[in-house]
Amino acid sequence: MKIRILLLTVFVGITFSLKAQKNEYSILLISDSLKVNANAVVRLNQIDIVISSQRNMTISTKRVITVLNEKGLSAIDAVENYNKKTTVKDIEAYVYDGLGNEVRKIKRKDFKDQSAVGSSTLFSDSRYVYLDYTPTQYPFTVVYESKLETSNTAFIPQWYPVSNFFVSVEKSVLNVDCPVNLGFKKMEFNFENFNIQKINDTPTQLSYTASNILAQKQEDYSPVFSFVLPKVMMALELFHLEDVDGSAKTWKEFGQWYSDEILSGTTVLSEETKAKMRTLVGEEKDPIIKAKLIYNYVQQKSRYVSIQVGIGGWKPMYANDVDRLGYGDCKALTNYTKALLEAVGVPSYNTILYGDSYKKDIESEFVSMQGNHMILAIPNGNKYTWLECTSQDDPFGYQGTFTDDRNVLVIKPEGGEIVRTKLYEDRDNTQLSSGTYSLSKEGDLLGEITIISEGSQYNQKAMLENLQPTEKEAHYKKYWSNISNLKINKTAFSNDKENVRLTERTEISAVNYGNISGGKMMFALNAYNQYTGTVKRIRNRKNPFEIQRGFTDVDEITIVLPHEFAIEFLPNNYELKSKFGAYKTEFIKKDNGSILYKRSLFINKGMYSNTEYDEYRVFIEQVSRNDNAKTILTKI
Amino acid sequence: MKLNQLILFLFVATFCLNVNAQDFKLGKVSVAELQEKSHAKDPAAVAAILFKKGEVRFEYVEDKGFEIITVVQTRIKIYKKEGYDWANQSVRYYLANNGEEKIYFKDAVTYNLVGDKIEKTKLKNDGEFDEQINKYWGRKKITMPNVKEGSVIEFEYTIKSPRFSELIDWSFQSSVPVNYSEFRTYIPEYFVYTPNQKGYVFPKVASEKNKRTIVRNSKERASGYVGNTTFSQDKTDYQETMTTYLAENLPAMKEEAYVNNIDNYTSSISHELSMTRFPKSSIELYSTDWPSVTKKIYENDDFGAELNKTGYFEDDINRLLTGLKTPYEKIDAIYNYVKTNLKWNDYYGYSCNDGVKKAYKDKTGNIAEINLMLTAMLRYSGLTANPVLVSTRSNGIALFPNRTAFNYVIAAVETPKGMMLLDASDKFSTPNVLPFRALNWMGRLIRKDGTSDVVDLMPKVNSNSTVMMNYSIDERGAVTGKLRQQQTDYNAMTFRRKVDNIIEDSYLEKLENENRKIEVTSYSRQNEKDLKLPVMETYSFTGSNLCEIIGDKIYISPMLFLAGTKNPFQQEVREYPVDYGFPFTEKNTVNIQIPDGYTIEKIPDPAVITMQDDLGSFTFITNVLGNQIQISIINQINTAIIPSEYYSMLKNYYQGMLDKQNEKIILTKV
Repeated sequence: MKIRILLLTVFVGITFSLKAQKNEYSILLISDSLKVNANAVVRLNQIDIVISSQRNMTISTKRVITVLNEKGLSAIDAVENYNKKTTVKDIEAYVYDGLGNEVRKIKRKDFKDQSAVGSSTLFSDSRYVYLDYTPTQYPFTVVYESKLETSNTAFIPQWYPVSNFFVSVEKSVLNVDCPVNLGFKKMEFNFENFNIQKINDTPTQLSYTASNILAQKQEDYSPVFSFVLPKVMMALELFHLEDVDGSAKTWKEFGQWYSDEILSGTTVLSEETKAKMRTLVGEEKDPIIKAKLIYNYVQQKSRYVSIQVGIGGWKPMYANDVDRLGYGDCKALTNYTKALLEAVGVPSYNTILYGDSYKKDIESEFVSMQGNHMILAIPNGNKYTWLECTSQDDPFGYQGTFTDDRNVLVIKPEGGEIVRTKLYEDRDNTQLSSGTYSLSKEGDLLGEITIISEGSQYNQKAMLENLQPTEKEAHYKKYWSNISNLKINKTAFSNDKENVRLTERTEISAVNYGNISGGKMMFALNAYNQYTGTVKRIRNRKNPFEIQRGFTDVDEITIVLPHEFAIEFLPNNYELKSKFGAYKTEFIKKDNGSILYKRSLFINKGMYSNTEYDEYRVFIEQVSRNDNAKTILTKI
Repeated sequence: MKLNQLILFLFVATFCLNVNAQDFKLGKVSVAELQEKSHAKDPAAVAAILFKKGEVRFEYVEDKGFEIITVVQTRIKIYKKEGYDWANQSVRYYLANNGEEKIYFKDAVTYNLVGDKIEKTKLKNDGEFDEQINKYWGRKKITMPNVKEGSVIEFEYTIKSPRFSELIDWSFQSSVPVNYSEFRTYIPEYFVYTPNQKGYVFPKVASEKNKRTIVRNSKERASGYVGNTTFSQDKTDYQETMTTYLAENLPAMKEEAYVNNIDNYTSSISHELSMTRFPKSSIELYSTDWPSVTKKIYENDDFGAELNKTGYFEDDINRLLTGLKTPYEKIDAIYNYVKTNLKWNDYYGYSCNDGVKKAYKDKTGNIAEINLMLTAMLRYSGLTANPVLVSTRSNGIALFPNRTAFNYVIAAVETPKGMMLLDASDKFSTPNVLPFRALNWMGRLIRKDGTSDVVDLMPKVNSNSTVMMNYSIDERGAVTGKLRQQQTDYNAMTFRRKVDNIIEDSYLEKLENENRKIEVTSYSRQNEKDLKLPVMETYSFTGSNLCEIIGDKIYISPMLFLAGTKNPFQQEVREYPVDYGFPFTEKNTVNIQIPDGYTIEKIPDPAVITMQDDLGSFTFITNVLGNQIQISIINQINTAIIPSEYYSMLKNYYQGMLDKQNEKIILTKV
């Protein structure tokens, strides 16, 4: 009897360990270097992509993540998107404790299923399933496995062996299998400085293994992720998108396909609308002036509503539907504007790009489905005029900071073409401030100022005039946060869309701006434009740093001093020049006792090395110190 | 007599209609409304709700019983492009099997003025969307066609619901002005609802009773005979109460800083079922007052029954308590045991989801599972412990007795020094230092016998931050010093959360950047993990731009980077109370060594600022000893919540304090 019990115990013990212990997942096996700066460690991230035909692709993921603390939870990334053309075949997860003992198994039915409609989207038919697991201890390891099947071979996911900051990678693997006749291609980025081996690279197979990549720190002013970290883009020359086959070796062919298969037939309008457009432009002959009239019409008539249905969100709504409904997303509104222009004989082209305040190019060397936004290109001499059709406010042809200076794909009926959008030169991104203020003998400030903004600075200011009074007040209290007790007495705006120029006129007052003590008054002469953008100290910076857009600020302010005081101290004129830009201040005493303060700050755009960062920080520090230079008055 | 009444009624009705020049019927949009360029009372408004009418009826459906029909009609004027979002509307509905709701939109029309003609554009199917958010909830959305600046839109939606526990919440106010808002309920005598009103604007209320009849057709087939069916009609009369709530010209609600939850101040009305009394069955009470709401919750299987289970933990707790004697030792042991062994799964609720047993086994649970288990263990150890129902900040203040007033539960345990509040769901929480989410005025404690009492949740002890800073200045204006900061209670909790799992390098970068780019060395931290003790950090620092040298003078503000720079209260007037969450004391002691060869030309005068009713005080005391300056600065706010009538005093208090903190010491070269 006793023996039997003993045997049974041993037996149970064995099965237990067989079933549940995976020593390979023990955290003891992680090398120390991978734990430095890491919130999670990718033990393995294996992605197997099998393309069995032009219309079928499966993507299998096996991801083993050891989460060291709460901040590392996002590295698990156990979420899959799906829609009518993409199904989640399998999805499951296992949780192991620090020693590799199985704690939990999470089956498909325990994953949550949710609509992917976010707050900015009105409707979309895509959904996602995600893992909702509350860790009971740290560290722990999750083994996540999923399998997706899709007919949309136009989108082969990009491979990012490192996909999170503060996460290290023990091993990351990509395997791709593809039939020989589909024209599989790939492009590698930023492999240098990372341990990535290419295992296989034939017309039908591609595989890489990345190993032992240390956790990356996030640093301000760094270029985006995809510029510094390794990535592989992949695509097929013969692909499929939402029931439409495609084939393209060049951008010309790609554009042609897009034009023929996706766009054709979407710009039909009623005769009534066409006639209305012809009446609108009247006798006008100049295509650009005609376009301006049409653009204005679209801005008055339509509004942006995000509805992501139909060809994976790639096919625009029909122009006559937009005409009837008065709303649409970027594709719908772009296409609608194009249709209206067609009616008055002005040619224009749909343009695909990445819309983002961070300038991101369509990768011109790699022909594939790219981009997240659409604008309209109108030929204008040997250039293009670009129209942002989702905006009801943008001046005609103005690109602001969402679509400027980047490579885009212009879709012409005869084919696609990569073109660069408008660059707003540093010298043209201006803010000119001119005004006066006076100080009373109590130190109270009363002033008025006119600020004129152009170029990309216009973009930041244009929305001001449409803000609610409380929001306007909040804006100015933030803009002049250096002035305590600030009161905004009056604001007026004039928005010159023809010349893309915003003028703000503001009247302000502030008690005790001049700090009086012991018969002396102290204050910063530069009340109106103190440089506030701080540049952080960063210990051992690794990444290059980038200034994406330069600008020019020029100030000319007259300061009227109280009669009861005389100038005891005035800061010296100052000039600073560096590769990052130039800064200059001048203090001129006028005969009538007032002071004229002149200031200019010019910042260059550019990409700089990690070691130059500290120089830049010191440059900015000098600027902000001089902006804040104090003047002292003495009571007479 | 009857005729007289009728005439009177008609008269009143006509009179009302005359008063309201606008026509509050869908389809009757006037040219004047379309011509309006801005709102008469709020010219900056991007849109306005011209009228909104809601009607709730109970309809008897044969074979199904009563069903609630809610019909809402709305007319909105869009003045500006920024108001285009008002052309997108959505209504959430319940879709799970046990109470599926049906919803449909109709009469959705956009009106525009074209020349002097009114142009109507109807919403069609392509502007209607149905989204399944998840297993339980769906959302119907519409986006109105042909919307421009100046458009008026109208729509109606109907919800059919079998769920009686509450009627829809009706907000009279919105983020844009509301000209007219009317909510009407028709409630049969079988149902009794408690209406709960909140906000600063009160609607007018009127009610009247009417007779209604239910007709039921029944079909009976006598047994034994084939084809012999008799039909009978059964009529039941009942009384129905119509109640109308009407509010007009409501201003837009505006967000302000330090507001607990704006919903607390929005004028609205909600209805919760308090009783049902169907014929031939006994009266069933739901909730009418706090004691009965509490009792009802207590009797719920997912609450009281779960609280009384002990078997699943007894062995472990017996082991844990071995050798422990004082109540404090026991509380400490049990509280930490639950905190370390159970992780909160981010779900709120005062009722258990999977139950305490499963939660204990899985080491994870919702708020109820964690804190009811904690209460049960405390009771098991021989202490007097009770659950306290709480409404979180996001749920709004529990103003009215109903079951949805609460969404959270914590534990209260009695000790010789008084009651101690515990929440084991948060790793940085300590006894009487509840997570911020649970700090929301009053909770409701439930005893074993089902009786209950109000518990004040707001902290009474000031959370301290005590800083000791010594530094010296050299003749080039460079500052070198040491700083030690000690923080207790909520300050400690906030600090621990901020530094949790943050790599020290990143933290120091932040510390340096937030403190005028000082350079920090010899950094150390004490008691980060020992929650019972105040958390402390110590470091040395140098700073090159902390003072200004002008001519032969050095100007320095004595608190360096510790001085506040910006008054948090910028608005001229304030509508809502200022809610800090907890009272606090900031005490800074600064010792300054001035450079050789310099004398003190001026130091700030000492100052005391006190607020009325002991709400707070600021003191600034200076002392000079040779070439040393000592300054002690204390800012104390003694109450968690400051009513809005004190706002201008509070704003001035902050300004006075900031001015003082930023006053300069002037040193002159000898």
